[in-house]
Amino acid sequence: MASIGSCSVYLPVWKLSRDEISKETGMPSLGGEKAVAHWDEDSVTMAVEAARNLEGKFDAVIFASTSPPFRIKQCASFIASALDLPENIFTMDITDSMRAATDALITANEFVDSGRFSRVLVVAADRIPTKPGTLYEQLYGDAAAAIVVEKEGGAKILGYSTSTKPLPGSWMLAGDDTVRDYDMRVDARYGYASSVQQAAMPLFAKLGLSPADIDRIVASAPDPRSYEGLLKAVGARPEEFYFSSVGIAGSAHPLLLLATQLEKTGRILLGGYGEGADVLAIEIDEAMESNIGRMLESRKEISYGDYLYNRGFVGIRDAPDRPSLTKFWRDEKSIIRFYGMRCQNCGTVSYPISRCCIECGAKDNYEEVRLGERGKIYTFTVDYLVMPGNYTGDGVHPHCVAVVDLDGGGRVMFEVTDTLREFNGIECDAEVERTFRLLFEKNNFRYYGWKARLPR
Amino acid sequence: MREVAVIGCGVTKFGHHWEKDHEDLLVEATYEAISDANIELKDVEAVWCGTFYPSTGISGNVFSDTVKFFGKPISRVENYCATGMDNIRNAAFAVASGAYDIVIAAGVEKLMDAGSRGLPPIEGIFSVGMPVVSAPAMFAMAANRAFKEWGWTREDLALVAVKNHYNGARHPKAHFRKEVTVERVLKAPMVAYPLGVFDCSAVSDGAAAVVLTRPEIAKQMVGDDYAVIKAIGMAVETMHPWHRPSESFLSFPATVKAAKMAYKMAGIENPRKELDFGIVHDCFTVTELINYQDMQLCKPGEGAELIRNGVTAIDGDFPINPDGGLKSFGHPIAASGVRMVAELTKQVLGKAEGLQVKDAEAGFAHNLGGPYSVATVAIVSRS
Repeated sequence: MASIGSCSVYLPVWKLSRDEISKETGMPSLGGEKAVAHWDEDSVTMAVEAARNLEGKFDAVIFASTSPPFRIKQCASFIASALDLPENIFTMDITDSMRAATDALITANEFVDSGRFSRVLVVAADRIPTKPGTLYEQLYGDAAAAIVVEKEGGAKILGYSTSTKPLPGSWMLAGDDTVRDYDMRVDARYGYASSVQQAAMPLFAKLGLSPADIDRIVASAPDPRSYEGLLKAVGARPEEFYFSSVGIAGSAHPLLLLATQLEKTGRILLGGYGEGADVLAIEIDEAMESNIGRMLESRKEISYGDYLYNRGFVGIRDAPDRPSLTKFWRDEKSIIRFYGMRCQNCGTVSYPISRCCIECGAKDNYEEVRLGERGKIYTFTVDYLVMPGNYTGDGVHPHCVAVVDLDGGGRVMFEVTDTLREFNGIECDAEVERTFRLLFEKNNFRYYGWKARLPR
Repeated sequence: MREVAVIGCGVTKFGHHWEKDHEDLLVEATYEAISDANIELKDVEAVWCGTFYPSTGISGNVFSDTVKFFGKPISRVENYCATGMDNIRNAAFAVASGAYDIVIAAGVEKLMDAGSRGLPPIEGIFSVGMPVVSAPAMFAMAANRAFKEWGWTREDLALVAVKNHYNGARHPKAHFRKEVTVERVLKAPMVAYPLGVFDCSAVSDGAAAVVLTRPEIAKQMVGDDYAVIKAIGMAVETMHPWHRPSESFLSFPATVKAAKMAYKMAGIENPRKELDFGIVHDCFTVTELINYQDMQLCKPGEGAELIRNGVTAIDGDFPINPDGGLKSFGHPIAASGVRMVAELTKQVLGKAEGLQVKDAEAGFAHNLGGPYSVATVAIVSRS
């Protein structure tokens, strides 16, 4: 069996109060807040943001999600590129199931246990599209979590087992814009608790453990009450489920729960539910730092109207034509891996990589350097003729751009994101940090790259 | 360079010409210029015609098919917002070289057909990963740094708009012929912080044309009633100033270099003393203040002093934009630089009715394009 070395969580900057949703839609409020992605975030960008905090090298990346932005196109390879991982690593996506993240964890465990890979990045992210005014709108929140699976780590995977049970829970057809359901009560009553217990039983037997040997049980669930019900049924105390602050983060939810559990030592059971269940027993010997606290604290409230804008239900986004996809591919090292160049003649670090130095013109005499994570705003503006994402301006959602001098050299103009109409704190000499986002959508493709935000 | 004579100027009214095509505008400007020069179209040996947007027109055909001027050399020039004056540069050097006796340099832009707020976007010229910024945003970044560095304020910028609209209100061909107050400028909707609507030149349609020849020919044709282009400097810098670490955003190096080049060509050491007035590219109010410095009218950081003290007012010590500038005319890209040279010519010939700078014998015009990446500076004096 393998171990878990470190973890990281990403929550988008916005939180939306469920009372606000209720006020605007008439649906009864489920209380608390849910995490809401900025308009330029999806499961790929949030996965990168979660994984960026993890240090060290990986030889495999597994991406888990039910909301990958592409039907055909691997996301893990793209995430690996944004993380500047070598091209000889193994990448795979596990998608379409709420169990994707625990499946990924099990897969990573097998990879490492077998000796095939030594350090696997498991990253799960979800931004499940929900129709305004539905129960799902209040249930789901947007988030990502990343876990490192390796031979030796602070938390040991003791074992796992699974159960399977196809039930009419939530689903999306290939062409659907938002999630559907038949009757949530079926899943809650007949699916959840029995699937998790059915998976857990053989694990106890295999490990020679009894429920009394388990300190804490966390498991993703179709709704928070089902989780509480499960814990009550087995006579255990429910752990923080993050429904009142995040919502159910789809397939990322089990990893989010795991990351927060890693903050304390003890023996835990981790469950992932979706048409059956995965259950893993994990022995946490060394408590690990999780950034969930910092993520929760550094958020801002969003209005329902702005939330609808972020979701694309409000406003027109019309992007001018952009350079061809082959150019995007050719410039990947600068755009996605974020390399600039250091001129060997004059020493200038500049962006992007180009044949001749922007300061001294020296030809083909440079080394490629990955540019810094943070920097200082040299100058900026708030442009009302352009909308964020390079769309034609609507006069209401201005495009904030900043020219940033990055730590370690290099000057880059960034779109400043995670803000819609408030630009407090964005001024000359203010510190900002890079963040991976969707740049714009055009030519029926999604173009990703780096933007800047006030540090979180 | 050998001096080149300007013997005819034609400028359409600038504005929102919804009812006119680029053809109407170019025909008007061209025929006004040849009539002013007292020549016929057939006397013209070569043409340089500027257009910036391909939607206005591309190639020599933009001129040939408009005035049905066939069988002669015509070049289309494009060089961002400095297209107009680069066009004149090419035409003037062709005359100075002796290759042609009489040429036309024209520029036309039909922007109102694009249906955009602000300038129509240009497709695919910037790198894929870079955010798109509007023209005002590019210059707003200079303003914000100048505010930080020198303590300039939005009020200082507003004074530029007030001055230029004061002049433009008296120019029959200006797009906007109304004066504005500082208060109105400051209260206008924001375009790109800190630039509001009145800090920006408008998107307008227009055309301009000048007839150039050698001074000895001019003398035979019109006596002393002509102006001479004494120098044209030009410099191209990076179109990615935001990626060049040495860029200060407090000075536009293209202007500095084009000005030095032009002053040297014309033998000018102290422009503030040796010239009488100037026309600068006031695409945005902040641009005008930075231009004062880059054109060596004052030291870096002192641009705001000049406007506060009225130095650049039409009755000031060194009037700038006595015509009302782009602020009053709007900025039909390729037409602007040509119109500037036409305005210089009118001033030095004492024909700027209602807007005449006192004792104007020689002045400069400055045309700036792109993200401050292309600049041309022309020096024109009485013959």
